[in-house]
Amino acid sequence: MPYWYYDKKDLQTTPSFQDAISNETENRYRKEGARFIIDTGSKMDLGYNTVATGVVYFHRFYMFHSFRTFPRYITACCCLFLAGKVEETPKKCKDIIKVAKSLLTEQKFGTFGEDPKEEVMTLERILLQTIKFDLQVEHPYGYLLKYAKCLKGDKQKLQKMVQMAWTFVNDSLCTTLCLQWEPEVIAVALMFLAGKLSKFEVVDWNGRLPKHTAWWDMFVEDITLELLEDICHQVLDLYSPQTQASGGESPPPGAAVQPKNERKPLPVTPPASASPVAPVAAKLNAPTPIKNGAEKLLPPKMDMRFYPPYVYPPVPYSDYSAPPPTSMPPASLPPPPLPRPPLVFQEPPPPPRYPQVSVPPPHYFAPLRPPPPRPYFPP
Amino acid sequence: MQGVSAPREQNQPVLSTSSTILNMREKEKYIEDFDFPFCDESSKYEKVAKIGQGTFGEVFKARARNSSKKFVAMKKVLMDNEKEGFPITALREIKILQLLKHENVVNLIEICRTKATLHNKYRSTFYLVFDFCEHDLAGLLSNVNVKFSLGEIKKVMQQLLNGLYYIHSNKILHRDMKAANVLITKNGILKLADFGLARAFSVAKSGQVNKYTNRVVTLWYRPPELLLGDRNYGPPVDMWGAGCIMAEMWTRSPIMQGSTEQQQLLLISQLCGSCTPDVWPGVEALDLYNKMDLPKGQKRKVKERLKPYVKDPYGCDLLDKLLQLDPAKRFDADTALNHDFFWTDPMPCDLANMLAQHTQSMFEYLAPPRRPGHLRHHHHVAGQPKPSQPQQEEGYQDRVF
Repeated sequence: MPYWYYDKKDLQTTPSFQDAISNETENRYRKEGARFIIDTGSKMDLGYNTVATGVVYFHRFYMFHSFRTFPRYITACCCLFLAGKVEETPKKCKDIIKVAKSLLTEQKFGTFGEDPKEEVMTLERILLQTIKFDLQVEHPYGYLLKYAKCLKGDKQKLQKMVQMAWTFVNDSLCTTLCLQWEPEVIAVALMFLAGKLSKFEVVDWNGRLPKHTAWWDMFVEDITLELLEDICHQVLDLYSPQTQASGGESPPPGAAVQPKNERKPLPVTPPASASPVAPVAAKLNAPTPIKNGAEKLLPPKMDMRFYPPYVYPPVPYSDYSAPPPTSMPPASLPPPPLPRPPLVFQEPPPPPRYPQVSVPPPHYFAPLRPPPPRPYFPP
Repeated sequence: MQGVSAPREQNQPVLSTSSTILNMREKEKYIEDFDFPFCDESSKYEKVAKIGQGTFGEVFKARARNSSKKFVAMKKVLMDNEKEGFPITALREIKILQLLKHENVVNLIEICRTKATLHNKYRSTFYLVFDFCEHDLAGLLSNVNVKFSLGEIKKVMQQLLNGLYYIHSNKILHRDMKAANVLITKNGILKLADFGLARAFSVAKSGQVNKYTNRVVTLWYRPPELLLGDRNYGPPVDMWGAGCIMAEMWTRSPIMQGSTEQQQLLLISQLCGSCTPDVWPGVEALDLYNKMDLPKGQKRKVKERLKPYVKDPYGCDLLDKLLQLDPAKRFDADTALNHDFFWTDPMPCDLANMLAQHTQSMFEYLAPPRRPGHLRHHHHVAGQPKPSQPQQEEGYQDRVF
């Protein structure tokens, strides 16, 4: 089976990056693609599992292809189409396209070509080969619920925490976290974040052993606080306005930039460069969660509430009509070091009634490598 | 939509009509050249013969080009008539085969593709590549020269039940149990194959009812609950098939060869007795209970009618337990494996020695029909050249149970 986890360096030197798309722009494309899958899926009453599977396919796909070669919205449709079949919630291709059309501007829908359905069909085969028919994908949702059942504490607060963590998991789909960490790790991190924000203190948990210093030690070995905070920040970055501002209208600039036929297929780095994956504790060792009355805290049944009752500052995902880049594609400039959000996010996802996270500063991303020399790019 | 050629704003300099076409060509070139790191080309294998027809495509025997000894079975994914892209049945089979790794389940090695070229409109054909198995049970049973001793029959059934125990433990239903889908290697290892109709099942919780299609399982191996329209079935559907196959080990041809669902139900009742709420509580609630013509007053004669073939009393008893009308009373794989049949003399014994006498592959697909004129529609496509000369000289005997 292929290994689907990458370290940050891999994520900065993707096919898109090597195709003169800056990391910021790529991240925006990924976010828009994921959000579009979420919106399309929600509109078609697809469950969170199907949607999440589609998004994971989407992120994996672009570890092998550039956003310039495959425009994101049609890829997104294709991922959702395949995920529907894999998760036994199939939707007709033409219906997905119909919904997509209703959600996209005419201009964006233009990237679907003259026969959108045929385009999706051709793309499906490319998608399947790219993801090595590795169809079954696990998501943090199930782990979130499983872990929550073991936690002891104020039931109402616990429920609130789980709901919030659920929302964070939804939103995490717009990041590349699923390319970095196993769903177990993401679940722990986002529960950690939700716990801080909802002031749910985990004092004790079922199945606690003397060697456990934190509840998650029971499920995942060797998680450091540093790692948890890094994951949390990646999700919180979604809500900080500066990361959204960059970039313009997007259909990837095409042949004008570079004679494409000169471009060689990417040397595919096998994703062997393992990220420091915390070994997931053997499932057999995990204590069976004991019912503590928490089983009622199930998040919204199936109607994937991507927006939970407590609405926090909406992220204007659809609002990307900023002017296009004027002259050069951003990646041709020496990429600026990624701005990290300040310690506390400026527009905290939950409304002010939630306290700000007080976490120590995470370590910064390493500054980006300069892009590879691009002989065909006009000076 | 006005098409891609609709005039675009200035901020879209690249998507003029001409550059779109160019982009298409470039994309085609890109697709053609892209070396999918995870999906090898099917040309690494060389087709040797067609050996069967699966639920969703043809099956070929092939040889690995880098080794003359390594044989595989390649199952083509038929997509020509698919309106919805890659068939969901094939996706299910792939997903399930990736999950199932067991000695008695066929092993999926990889999925290969043909190169995308202009010739195939840039759409690859896919093949599921399996370890090659020399025989299938239907082929073996149709060859009178192949004789199974009682110990060998036990070994076949033990392996078959082991496989079923494993897949059921993994919450998978096979849904197409039949002798032709039971493969046997030349070393005597049995493999359940063709998961084209398989699916995951969930244990129905109270209030929740599963709604699976009941249009599964080849008619002759279809259990009574499916014939009566049950849509909330489970592992017992496969256990019925295991019972039919077990009987076939002695009768050498399928024991109930109905030509319609109605007739199949009649044959079942004639063997297992009438379907009444008495022997099968809840049968009256099944969808088709009042719509089908249910034979009344039939007595159960499983042991009586099978005894002439199955001389072993333990064998008869196990068959009786597998061919229970009421799925709730039917033995599950675990219980069946604990039956005395497998734990009394002669004990299950290896098949390799017996199979060593037969050097030719035996597949049902290549064998003459065991029941000419019966429901073997997938046989002998007109004009299909016989790929090899299998050695079924006096091929088959038309044994009627």
